[in-house]
Amino acid sequence: MSEDIRALTARLADEPSSLAFLELAEALRRRGQLDAACKVARGGVSRYPGLADAHDLLARILSDLGDLAGAFDAWSAALQFDPMRAAALKGVGFLYFRAGDVVAALDHLQRAAQADPDDPSIPLAIERVRAEVRQHGAPRANGTPAPAPARPPATPFEGIEGGDQGFLLVDGNGLRLSGSLHVSSGEDAGDRVAAQLAGVSREAARATRILGLGPWHSIAVESADGHLFLAAPTADTVLLTARDHSLPLARVGLLAERASRAARAWLEGMG
Amino acid sequence: MNERDLLDRVTRVPGVRGVLLVAAADGLVVAEQLMDGVDGRAAAALAGSLVGRLTRTAEQAGHQRPTFVHLRAEAGSVLAAPGPDDLVLVAVIAPDANVGLARLEMIDAAGRLG
Amino acid sequence: MRALEPWVVEPLQAFLSESSARLTLLMTSSGQVVAQHGFSRSLDVMTAAALGAGIVASTEELARLMGSPRFGALVHHGVGQSCMLGAFPTPRGRWIGLVVFGPETSVGIVQLFFDQMVEQLALAAPREQAPPPMLAENFESELDASLKALFGR
Repeated sequence: MSEDIRALTARLADEPSSLAFLELAEALRRRGQLDAACKVARGGVSRYPGLADAHDLLARILSDLGDLAGAFDAWSAALQFDPMRAAALKGVGFLYFRAGDVVAALDHLQRAAQADPDDPSIPLAIERVRAEVRQHGAPRANGTPAPAPARPPATPFEGIEGGDQGFLLVDGNGLRLSGSLHVSSGEDAGDRVAAQLAGVSREAARATRILGLGPWHSIAVESADGHLFLAAPTADTVLLTARDHSLPLARVGLLAERASRAARAWLEGMG
Repeated sequence: MNERDLLDRVTRVPGVRGVLLVAAADGLVVAEQLMDGVDGRAAAALAGSLVGRLTRTAEQAGHQRPTFVHLRAEAGSVLAAPGPDDLVLVAVIAPDANVGLARLEMIDAAGRLG
Repeated sequence: MRALEPWVVEPLQAFLSESSARLTLLMTSSGQVVAQHGFSRSLDVMTAAALGAGIVASTEELARLMGSPRFGALVHHGVGQSCMLGAFPTPRGRWIGLVVFGPETSVGIVQLFFDQMVEQLALAAPREQAPPPMLAENFESELDASLKALFGR
């Protein structure tokens, strides 16, 4: 047993409530005496449950032992008492990276960089995570479940000109799936327009079938004060795009095609 | 300009296979100029019914009644330009027809009806 | 929808779903009911059949007097609903269709799909011997049996 560990052990025996456990556990960890280090660290955490240093030390020891779940809990406890503790943020970031949650990993590492801008290891860790993702995609840790697939957005029209307003995605029963249609009074007319659209779709399909024109693709409706454009993203849905007269009908058609593709992808994502 | 002249102007647009003047509420033919293979009676009934539905849809959406409708399908299109007194000008066109020109002629012709 | 003969069902069902007709009656030219849809009372069916056959017979006589061919169809436009009567040939003889419809459809749609139904009935009718002429003593029991079949009782 080294001199420092002997001295620290004696000191701790004399004063069990002293903070000597921090140095002792760290010294034992560096010598590779991880079980002993863990025992000392746990004793210290039980005496000082609100001490971020103690939790951080325990987390590093558990990480060395391969108890990653325990390390995660300990680092999380450290952050609870010291949210800007760089070492804990680095540790949690590393664990998220191993679990394949790249977004959370980068978030914690970037916060660590803010907490300790002088630590050169943090930018290196960030770049390593990004390089790994560029090369291989998000890593999958052995035995850890893959992260849950991203939930589809609440509406298929995010990012499309106009957002959710002026688009109406309707199922075969005339019920609204997504979108809204506000009239000049401010009222949302979406539900009553949706009820009409199922019948329109059936009429269009019947007309083109009987006239020998094949399946229908779109219906453009021009009025003095606005345009409507109908398309069928899937066999049993109809998408209405409504715009005022300032947009040329052909351009409304392009917008509708884009929204139709987005709606189709969204419906496929819903399963 | 009489009805026949109005239909003539539309049928002269390249790709137009038939033009009809339809009493929309009844879905009956008032006048027609059709190429072989175009079922005028069916076009009148079906287009009249569809225009009626689209008019109701436009009204529910807070728009005025339609001035032009373009139903596009795999092997052609049906165009409709509502006029006064429940009359609708309907055209059946080929996939490669000049839709822009047909639209202009039909809206102009529909405006001269009645 | 009820029909006395099974081969009538499919063409009539197609007509009903496409035309949105509210009431439909198919009968022989003598007023014997073959199929019905939408009627709730047998008395109404019998009355409508008799009146319809009578109207068609009257107008055909009128056409004959005028030196015209038979009228294709008669349409009576009402306020809330309209009525179409059309006589047509079948392998089983001349039949009449009576169709009552509302503003949710149009006479053009009704006529379009009525004509399609007539074509389909001609194709679907079995190519077998016509039934023997009905005797007066059998008429009442046949009518009673028909009405029971048409109302599912």
